[in-house]
Amino acid sequence: MRFWNRLRLRTRGGRLETELQDEIRLHREMLHEEFVRQGMPPAEAARAAARQFGNPASAADLSRDEWTFPHLDILWKDVRFALRLMLRHPLLTAAAALTVAFGVGANTAILSVLETVLLNPLGMPHASRLMVARVHLDKLQMRHAPDSGVEFRELHAMTDAFSAVAAMENRAWTWQTGGQATRLLGQAVTPDFFRVFGAAPALGRFFSGDEERGVVLSYDMWQSRFGGDAGAIGRTIVLDDTPHQVVGVAPKDFRFPADAAAWSPLVLSKYRLSQRGYNMTLLVFARLRDGVTPARASGRVNRYVAGLAAGPGGAEWREMGYGIDLDPFAIYLAGDLRSPLWLLWAAALVVLLTGCANVAGLLLTRSSSRRKEIAIRLSLGATRWQIVRQLLLESLLLGTFGGLAGVALARGAVALIARLPVPGKEVLALVSLQRGMLLYGLALAMLSGLLFGLAPALQLLRESQTAAMARSRRRWFQDIFVTAEVAGAFLLVAMTGLLLRSLWTVERVRLGFDSRHLTTAYFTKPKNDPGFQDRLKAELQHAPGVESAALVYPVPLTTGGLTSGFSIRNRERLPGEPEWHGEAYFVTPEYFETMRIPLLRGRNLAASDTAGAPTVCLIDRKLADRFFPNQDPIGQEISMYKGWARIVGVTAAVRADSLEEETRPVAYYSLPQVPFFPQAAAVVRSHTPAAKLIREVVRRTNASVPVFDVRTMEERIGESLGIRRVLAMLLCVFGGISLLLAAIGIYGVMAQVVGERTQEVGIRMAMGARPGQILRQFMSQGARSGTLGLVLGVGATAAVQKWIGALLYQVRPLDAATLAAAAAGILAVLVAAVWWPSRRASRIDPQAALRHE
Amino acid sequence: MATPNPEFLKGTLDMLILRTLSRGPNHGYGIAQHIRRLSQDAFKVGEGSLYPALQRLLVNGWVRAEWGITETNRQARVYTITPAGRKQLAEEVREFDCVLAAIARVMEGV
Repeated sequence: MRFWNRLRLRTRGGRLETELQDEIRLHREMLHEEFVRQGMPPAEAARAAARQFGNPASAADLSRDEWTFPHLDILWKDVRFALRLMLRHPLLTAAAALTVAFGVGANTAILSVLETVLLNPLGMPHASRLMVARVHLDKLQMRHAPDSGVEFRELHAMTDAFSAVAAMENRAWTWQTGGQATRLLGQAVTPDFFRVFGAAPALGRFFSGDEERGVVLSYDMWQSRFGGDAGAIGRTIVLDDTPHQVVGVAPKDFRFPADAAAWSPLVLSKYRLSQRGYNMTLLVFARLRDGVTPARASGRVNRYVAGLAAGPGGAEWREMGYGIDLDPFAIYLAGDLRSPLWLLWAAALVVLLTGCANVAGLLLTRSSSRRKEIAIRLSLGATRWQIVRQLLLESLLLGTFGGLAGVALARGAVALIARLPVPGKEVLALVSLQRGMLLYGLALAMLSGLLFGLAPALQLLRESQTAAMARSRRRWFQDIFVTAEVAGAFLLVAMTGLLLRSLWTVERVRLGFDSRHLTTAYFTKPKNDPGFQDRLKAELQHAPGVESAALVYPVPLTTGGLTSGFSIRNRERLPGEPEWHGEAYFVTPEYFETMRIPLLRGRNLAASDTAGAPTVCLIDRKLADRFFPNQDPIGQEISMYKGWARIVGVTAAVRADSLEEETRPVAYYSLPQVPFFPQAAAVVRSHTPAAKLIREVVRRTNASVPVFDVRTMEERIGESLGIRRVLAMLLCVFGGISLLLAAIGIYGVMAQVVGERTQEVGIRMAMGARPGQILRQFMSQGARSGTLGLVLGVGATAAVQKWIGALLYQVRPLDAATLAAAAAGILAVLVAAVWWPSRRASRIDPQAALRHE
Repeated sequence: MATPNPEFLKGTLDMLILRTLSRGPNHGYGIAQHIRRLSQDAFKVGEGSLYPALQRLLVNGWVRAEWGITETNRQARVYTITPAGRKQLAEEVREFDCVLAAIARVMEGV
């Protein structure tokens, strides 16, 4: 009530003031008139009136006090004073605010990603109770492999551990709409799928038990393709030539998988539900029953696997090292992003902390130059607390400005993150800066403000102690400062170095084919057009600007080859020899010319190797060397796909799975001879990127064929290196900034030390100390703290090696050369930062120094 | 009669103003005059101290102020007591009576 009255009065602003003045003047006039009326002479009446009224100025002041907010007004005065001070040192202010802005911005952006991907995965309700089951086969070094129907059946039966279990399988439909073929990504899911995720339909319903032809649309799909029309329910859409009826729309915030536009029912046949290890294309999700911990559920699953291995027919699975892993949904979702994200977050925190230390150092320098001002204010009656409050307010303001700028930075950064070309980008595209994150950023900034404001404030509070003690305290702070800056910078620079070395090593990996000027694009094979592939190939080969063109499935460096066990005719595995595994690619004869993979022996695949002809294949050198040493492989027969195939040639080996992993032995089949797969891709070598060309040619050849995943080979390689490149780049930025901060900060602090001790140095030089001694003394002070910082930095690097190890390639986390280089770099910066102030100290003119102050 | 302690007055002044206004709206000078006349010049505090008190009452919402015309045909700010002000007055009078009675009992008891 009082507050509002005051506010109302205040908002009347200047009028209030003049009204009060008028009122007081009027009152005095009336008094004066009355005295005159009583018969006083005017002069005496004026004196009497003044006496009777009292001091008008004080009356006005006291009145004014009634409608002010005393605390707020003082605060506002302090804020204005702080702002004035900040404007008077624009460079310092900008440096401090930018430091905070960068630290807070980086932190907020990265935490936003962590939030969406890991902490609160996709905003799923009770995501910590949601588990993903995946298979591992140790013998084949397969981890996180998809499930077959059996895993779904078994988990579904464990009703004591799980309240709901569902399976999903990737779908890529061709959607015929308005005479156009669109590729639609989605999932086929078992009835409980949405229940497992705790989602309720935005419209219509989800699937019932035995439905086969329904489809649930994603909210985005419903909005963009159906205009958000409620009448979409009940409509029929044709997916893969089969009519599906739209039964419901998923809620807006249900975005799993991130690229799913629709879900259809998944009906698992009795056969699939009983074939373990076959058709491993499912992903099984399970919601924990109330009161069941993830560990207990895992135990339950492991008991099942143990029982299976011990049971009849279990030997095979025991030998394969079969098992089922139960992971929290967040871990599954974050996948390869998990370590990089935590690492980046930690790095951003280190940058923020070194930044805070730096700003503290800057403020400390200024607060000692402000000592005179503070002394005056103290002697004018300001309390120590008021001064401390003023200092803290200043740093809080700095923090707030930095925080606001940082949040703006984070907003930009999140937009950039959503477009990063890395695996998992579908999830990253869902990251947005939420209100909680904004609060986190601002809170972090305020905290930083308090943190770096504390140093000057504490120093001031201690100023009351003897000068000598204060000085020794200060040096104590300076030592800690140098140590911390060096440790932080070392940690980041060392990690950057390790990641850069890994990146460098990976980038130099020889692929075995010429990845430049290659454009690749997937298409879905049309059902009723047997000549399509031949026509497409011919059209592409004769298109302008095309050097050569071929068809392949799958495209190297995309999903990895199709791994399979194989056998060789007339040969048995030796006892104890591991199972034979290889990868298959299905290509047209022009593939090797287009990719520039040399043919080493024998003949190429030929146009005559068609469906009717005997099955043939090429093998790569790796397969030849390992399985046919000292022996001609040509004419031998292997069976990997589609029965026995005769080897007709040997090609050079390539890296086809990823740059970082050795590719398994490879067999190349003739694409027309193995028509199992619904998709294939065109590979075109041309001088200009051929994305548009491929789309046009495919449309011309058959308008009902959707083209998708069109990218140059370089882009595919870039994406497989994406995390590595982005991580190395970001850490380069973080490391560079923290190194720069350390250099500026250490220089500033040392310069201050020298400034404060000018007199002392002057006396010592007057007493005969040589410049060299002075130089050494200051240098050694810096070196001592710096070395301690290095030691701490190495310790920190060792502590985080568990995180970083997974991100390295052929470099150990404590790689001596890298760490030594980082240490040398830091030492160079340290020496430079300490050298200049120390040299200034050694050149102090004793006479001038003694007159100093 | 000696001049009462101004501090003691501070709380009482609010009450006196409210009491004055409870008879009808009045301007600052009029209030001062009224208090002076009825107290027979006992409160020799500068009349200026009336204004901080009036502002305080305004802030508390116990009085309202409007510009009006005085009986001598001048522009003046006229204060009116609000219902909340009347309640406050009753409260203060009750407290004041208690204090007075207590003082009286002590003084008579000696």
